[in-house]
Amino acid sequence: MDFLEILKQKAFLGREFLTWLWFKSEQSGGRVELRGDSVVEVIFLNRLTLDLSEADTPQSVTIKGEHSELREGLAALREGKKIEETRVSLRGSVNEFTLTLKGTWLSFGSLRTPPALPVDEAEPEDEWEASFLEKISLVEEGIGLVDALFGHFLKLRLSPNWETHELPAIRAWVAKGEPVLTGPQ
Amino acid sequence: MGFAARSVSIFRYRVKGELEGSFWDAIAEGVRKGAFREIESAGDIIASGWTSVEDFTDHSFEQARYVRGNHVALSLRIDSVRIPPRILEIHFKKESARLLQETGKRRLSSGQSRELKDRLKESLRHQAFPSIQIYDMVWNTAEGVVCFGQHSARARERFEDHFKKSFGLTLIPLIPYIRAQELLESDADRNRLEELKPCSFVP
Repeated sequence: MDFLEILKQKAFLGREFLTWLWFKSEQSGGRVELRGDSVVEVIFLNRLTLDLSEADTPQSVTIKGEHSELREGLAALREGKKIEETRVSLRGSVNEFTLTLKGTWLSFGSLRTPPALPVDEAEPEDEWEASFLEKISLVEEGIGLVDALFGHFLKLRLSPNWETHELPAIRAWVAKGEPVLTGPQ
Repeated sequence: MGFAARSVSIFRYRVKGELEGSFWDAIAEGVRKGAFREIESAGDIIASGWTSVEDFTDHSFEQARYVRGNHVALSLRIDSVRIPPRILEIHFKKESARLLQETGKRRLSSGQSRELKDRLKESLRHQAFPSIQIYDMVWNTAEGVVCFGQHSARARERFEDHFKKSFGLTLIPLIPYIRAQELLESDADRNRLEELKPCSFVP
């Protein structure tokens, strides 16, 4: 497959990831447990765009607002839509990041990292350099959290557990319209 | 906004290909080759190329470095001038009226009109302020990953093209499927990924 064909035919992968991530975040009170006992806190913020990726004509809906997103987002999922874009907050072991994730491209919009701290007793040009390097390291850390979550999703998505456990749980959540709280609060 | 800003947008690429000879010498050569300079073209872009991320007026890299740890950090600066069509029309009407009066002809040939428009565009370009766009990129040379600070398709296309011209390397967007192939550890999983079909979350 060439690049454009992959982009078209496999776009569902990013949308399924974001939709699963929303389910996981709602199901576990925002704590997503990864392999090796690490935990990423995932909070969906007040913006979701869902679309019907397999439709001939694009149909998308954007939901903004503090408390409407769960009800309206689930209604869109019941119509077969999946999340194409969302603003999330992610926290690893120390740092917190907010960013807009896009499903088709796996791109990172308006990524806010913790501030890069000024270095004590540094010359001004060294200070710029140090602060820039720290910023790069923070950006890579934030992207690394997304990769860790995506890697976890992939393992699950390709395992027999997906069909037997995960997918039925997601469908039950979509049907019921409220989180199925099975994980830690 | 650039990487130094509090909030940054990132589009991620995998770098494909090998540099010839010494890695850092090849990078230096690529930066020199693609450094910001004026260009001759019939389009709107009048100058483009790499500048320092610290100072977009520094394209000789005398004061600022582009190697930061394992990373190559550069800005792609694109200066363009677009003459508003109505402004061009005003000048064209004025100038063609003058030419017709001088020659006593009733109308300009299509070749003359085109030539006049090109000449006017060129002259108006020197009177207009260019629009300057700056896009930052950070290349993690240890990982072979480039983070580009802009999502728009047009900016990405220009960046991919300029990167290829400078370094002779291809940038592959790390879309979910391609990133997934990299994250999966076994061939069996990669084969399953290739066969994967969309699922429905509808109850």
